[in-house]
Amino acid sequence: MASITTSKAASVESGGLGVDLDAHARRIGKQDRVATGILTVIVAFVLFLLGAIVAFILVKGLGKALAPGFLTTAPTAAENPGISSELFDSFYMLIITLLISVPISLGAAIFLVEYAPDNWVTKAASTAIETLSSLPSIVVGMFGSLFFVVTLGWGISILAGAMALTMFNIPILVRVIQRALEDVPRSQRDAGLAMGLTRWETTLHVLLPAAMPAIVTGVVISAGRVFGEAAALIFTSGSAAVNINFASLNLASPRNPWNIFRPAETLAVHIWKLKMEPSPGNDEIVWGTAAVLIICVLLFNVLARVLGKFLAKKMTSE
Amino acid sequence: MSKLDSLSRRQFVAGFGGTLAAVAGLGLVGCGGSGNSESGSDAASVSGTVNCSGATSFQKLVESAATKFEDAYPDVTVAITGGGSGQGLSDVKDGKAQIGRSDVFAEEKLEAADAAKLTDNTVAVVGMGPIVNSSVDVDGLTTEQLKGIFTGAITDWSEVGGTAGKIQVIERKAGSGTRATFEAAVLAGEKAPDTFAPVAEEDSSGTVVEKIQATEGSISYLAFSYFDDTKFKALKVDGVEPTAENVCSGDFNIWAYEHMYTAADADEATQAFIDFMLSDEVQGSLVEEEGFIPVSDMKVSKDADGKVSSK
Amino acid sequence: MAKQLLPKRRLENVGLGLTGACVALVAVIVVTLIVMVAQQGLSAFFVDGIDFGAFITGTSWVPSDGKYGALPLIVTSFGVMVLSTLFTLPVALGSAIFVVEVRPGFGRKVFQPLVELLVGIPSVVYGLIGLTVVNAAMRAVFGDAAGTGAGILSGAIVLAVMILPTVTTLSIDALAAVPNQYREGSYALGCTRWQTVWHVVLKSALPSLMTAVILGMTRAFGETLAVQMVIGGVEKIMPAGLLSPAATLTTALTSGFANATTGSVQYHALWALGLLLMGMSLFFILIIHLIGSKGAKDRG
Repeated sequence: MASITTSKAASVESGGLGVDLDAHARRIGKQDRVATGILTVIVAFVLFLLGAIVAFILVKGLGKALAPGFLTTAPTAAENPGISSELFDSFYMLIITLLISVPISLGAAIFLVEYAPDNWVTKAASTAIETLSSLPSIVVGMFGSLFFVVTLGWGISILAGAMALTMFNIPILVRVIQRALEDVPRSQRDAGLAMGLTRWETTLHVLLPAAMPAIVTGVVISAGRVFGEAAALIFTSGSAAVNINFASLNLASPRNPWNIFRPAETLAVHIWKLKMEPSPGNDEIVWGTAAVLIICVLLFNVLARVLGKFLAKKMTSE
Repeated sequence: MSKLDSLSRRQFVAGFGGTLAAVAGLGLVGCGGSGNSESGSDAASVSGTVNCSGATSFQKLVESAATKFEDAYPDVTVAITGGGSGQGLSDVKDGKAQIGRSDVFAEEKLEAADAAKLTDNTVAVVGMGPIVNSSVDVDGLTTEQLKGIFTGAITDWSEVGGTAGKIQVIERKAGSGTRATFEAAVLAGEKAPDTFAPVAEEDSSGTVVEKIQATEGSISYLAFSYFDDTKFKALKVDGVEPTAENVCSGDFNIWAYEHMYTAADADEATQAFIDFMLSDEVQGSLVEEEGFIPVSDMKVSKDADGKVSSK
Repeated sequence: MAKQLLPKRRLENVGLGLTGACVALVAVIVVTLIVMVAQQGLSAFFVDGIDFGAFITGTSWVPSDGKYGALPLIVTSFGVMVLSTLFTLPVALGSAIFVVEVRPGFGRKVFQPLVELLVGIPSVVYGLIGLTVVNAAMRAVFGDAAGTGAGILSGAIVLAVMILPTVTTLSIDALAAVPNQYREGSYALGCTRWQTVWHVVLKSALPSLMTAVILGMTRAFGETLAVQMVIGGVEKIMPAGLLSPAATLTTALTSGFANATTGSVQYHALWALGLLLMGMSLFFILIIHLIGSKGAKDRG
């Protein structure tokens, strides 16, 4: 702090040593305006880029996405194949992923915020989580294809895919939840402890409810990201849609939609596969699927904010 | 469909004693390629899951066939995944899948001992031909010219009778079945020099289509099943049109088998699906609909070393 | 009192045990991953006898011919990573400064949520757009020299867009974390906003900004499908320039796995590439830690 102000003062002084102070003021004023101008252009560019990308996809794909039957016809249909299986698989895999990753992340985050002793164990644990966040998705996919698919014997399956996605999701979720817990005012925590509650009780009954809006927002936003992952899934949950049979009651049948040991194809993988193996009419389906994917991600973002606000309001009104 | 239903009901009434007969019946269908109704009568007694992974080039054909198959065999599920020929062969070798799809002979990818343990079922033939961007004003090339282009000796369209312009060579990845087939037929054992770099080595036919369409002066090769006159132009080779008829007669020699490898002791459900793939129901209509050639139409055959002989 | 203390302590232990187990589980998975990738990758050198030196310095990657020179892949991976970071950095930093220093309200309410949307766009979709728009643009600008339009430059541009939101968001956090007294001190000395930003805010946020950049680089280094669609995929030769079609470590992996059979030399060589990728991301993490601890030391 001290060193910065002195260097600051020095630079001003050196400016002041010049002959014409007014000219200097004009120069730095102009400099300031130019810089602000450039910054504004940059921000406008970023917003334009975002708008252009979203608009491009919607223009190319919205027509197909809204075509009757596109969302409800199976991809195996001979005429006008749709994406019903992919849509179902995407959401089902997401739900399984969240069922696995949210409890683990919640536990890990609570440990790191509330219990973590300041020693090498904690440091190693947070480094492990950090490592997970930096691993390329392809490496996670390769690992999944060996460990979950072969070593654990799950085969190419929804569960293997969900575990691969969990590995991406955990670092994101842990960070979000950690931050949410840390943001709970110190006074609330102290009040809980002062009332004779254990740290565990304080966490369960005071901290978690208070942090809930932020946690929910984080979980939903992370869901949006997981939703679009493809590279790791190609090796773990496969790249072919199963001919789902909703009438099937046999949970062990690979055609039963709820069987977590059956292969599945998500929307993002579907785009990749169709782009790789073209057939007539594919381009439309690809862009249609991309549009559906983007809309889903948009909805996740909106949902996250609405839900967060709603929960926050409910909390404070109570 | 209704015929099948009534038949399977009769089978149900007859009880489960027919399993042996069913296997025998299926064997008949496989060898003789006779009508489908026979196999339908056995359908109810066959159950299980067939995992089928591997080459993506004829995945759609297998998927369509599997959908039909599952209608006829309600207790059998065919789970199809992709992954490429290498993956398919590994999976069937390691017992992770019952069927491994490949567009090359197993001998080319696996150790001889491993390959010998697998049963080869050739379910279709695929023709491949050179294609160019629509702007290229050449309609055909000789094998010699193709060799020159794909080894970097010929670099301008004017050298092969077209308007002057750089030849942009788009290859498939080394190791892809399509590239192996094309090189075997065109380069005839020669290798492109290490210094020759194509403008792209694509992972898939899809990106080849995309780039051929968009890049002026480009040349590549694709399976007939991807041919699309509205997007690019297919070339004659040595004056022969790239058509199914010419492949069958042996006049057009860039083609390969689509294999579905099974373990030697394949289970009943797997055998039923392979038999279905070879039955008239698939061979007679689906195979051609998807742009492939039924094996039975071929007047020539190829062995694992690429030697062609007439049947 | 003692009676009540016991269940309380037990309750505390339950909490500690449950949450500790979660952390342990994550750690176990990470360790398993590292061990497994290392084991598979190293067997390329120790079982199949590929020479490590030749692997790192060889200039031709043609697994089907038994040529395992990963240098073209390594060079390309670093090339696209550095280029995309160069493209992204000014834009990300510029928007972060605008959002934190010029229009904080607009930044929090409008800009940040929109940028987060950009993170959510799946990488295959970026690849699709790259394939149609960026490749075409390359051909339009450079003509025949660009070939199909696929190449290092196309890859870098697509990556630059993909890492933009990550770098921007983290930069915003970094700048926002600079204490307000610093700014007030600077303004009090009569500095303009630009001078304040340039000499005070950026300087004190430098360690966090570097972390932001490195995290962006990590993402660029590991990105797969989007790059694969636009980079051209030529593995057999060293890239000659920015327009050359090339392949990164990640793209060589995805395309290689389709053609390799388990247990083969090629299969192990691909895992060795995976090991290389993993090593790099661990290295990036190490750098971030070093920056973090150095920053902490500097601050006193």
